[in-house]
Amino acid sequence: MEKSSDFMLYGRIQRQDKAALEELYDRYEKILFSFLVKMTEDPDLAEEALQEVFIKLWRGKGEYDESKGKFTSWLFTMARNVAIDLIRKRKKPSVPLEEVGDLVNTDSSVEELAEWQEQKEQIETAVQELSDDQQKMIQLFYFKGYTHETIAGICGIPLGTVKSRIRLALKKLKKSLHGVQERGAIDD
Amino acid sequence: MTKIDCEHVVDYLNGTLTDEDLHAFEEHLKTCADCRQIVELTGELPYLAEPIEPPIGMKARILTNVFEEEVKEKLQSEPKPKPKPATVPVIKPKAKRNWWTPLIAAVLLMSLIGNAYAFLKLSDQQEPETALREVDLQPSEAFNGTGQARLIREDGALDVVVSTAGLEDLQGDEIYQVWLLKEGQPIPAGAFSPNPDGEGAAYFSLKENTEGWDTIAITREPNAGNQSPQGNIVLSSEL
Repeated sequence: MEKSSDFMLYGRIQRQDKAALEELYDRYEKILFSFLVKMTEDPDLAEEALQEVFIKLWRGKGEYDESKGKFTSWLFTMARNVAIDLIRKRKKPSVPLEEVGDLVNTDSSVEELAEWQEQKEQIETAVQELSDDQQKMIQLFYFKGYTHETIAGICGIPLGTVKSRIRLALKKLKKSLHGVQERGAIDD
Repeated sequence: MTKIDCEHVVDYLNGTLTDEDLHAFEEHLKTCADCRQIVELTGELPYLAEPIEPPIGMKARILTNVFEEEVKEKLQSEPKPKPKPATVPVIKPKAKRNWWTPLIAAVLLMSLIGNAYAFLKLSDQQEPETALREVDLQPSEAFNGTGQARLIREDGALDVVVSTAGLEDLQGDEIYQVWLLKEGQPIPAGAFSPNPDGEGAAYFSLKENTEGWDTIAITREPNAGNQSPQGNIVLSSEL
């Protein structure tokens, strides 16, 4: 059976189809959770964020349509913004990940991991083609969700240039990734 | 209104544009390939994260809470058609709360929501009957572990929730498979892998052929997806 597209699932979710929400949950639970743990460095907070994402999806009133680009871009961006909100509200210090290893088990299907690994390697290769400053910019902006003021402080650059530096780093990364993917396609 | 250009892609990603600017930026996106590519990149960046296996039970917790929010909203926004006691005569389990309680809660809640809908739509319809039955699963010889099965009959469907503890680790493609049997004939009814502490849970819903099951059993199967048992019975009980 062909998997229904994300957009079709989203449409069913808007019509309050619980099975569709569950299917979407199963499809993206692991990437979203892993991403949110990377951002929050706290599995409890990551779970809270993930729940918030699905509450938003369930209540959503026509927020996503295909003119906004890929569904995953929209979904991950929404998840990132939920995480940033929670990180900023968070009172307690984050728990180092080493100490929470027991909460999670690491067995996954080989196929799933291989797919992830391939995507991860591609984007890691692309990241390595950026300058150190650009890599730092993406880490601080995208994964840490720092404010422009904080980024300006950490990097010692004028506040007014933060935005354009973030944009250029992202643009360069997309270009590098495109190159890596094309090279990968030729190798195959 | 601000003049919208490529600089705003950062605000767009951060969700900090006003509605008006957001609309303008979405128009800008249609014509700016650079910005579209940056937005597209956000569908790939999360894969930089190390894969982490979600905690067992998280799905049940989250979906329960998501649908619970909806019930709360409904209760606040819609007046009830008639005052009436509990919509569904759910029997509250007396057993101590377990780590897998949220899974039961999720199943019951789905029933509740379903019933609430049916009730709102067809107020003259009789209340559907919900019955909950719990059995302890007995370990076979040479196996350790304990388990419980709950059978929830509601609205013509049969939901089966199984929870286990103290099971041995699985190897390779092995999986613990739940079966319902009628006069010796099994059907698969959910499968699971235990967490590192040996705890596992499965949920299965049967829409047809819900009557007459006389036995429930869990086998250790060499692989998932078998239509009849190939492995040994680990836990079982008569129904």
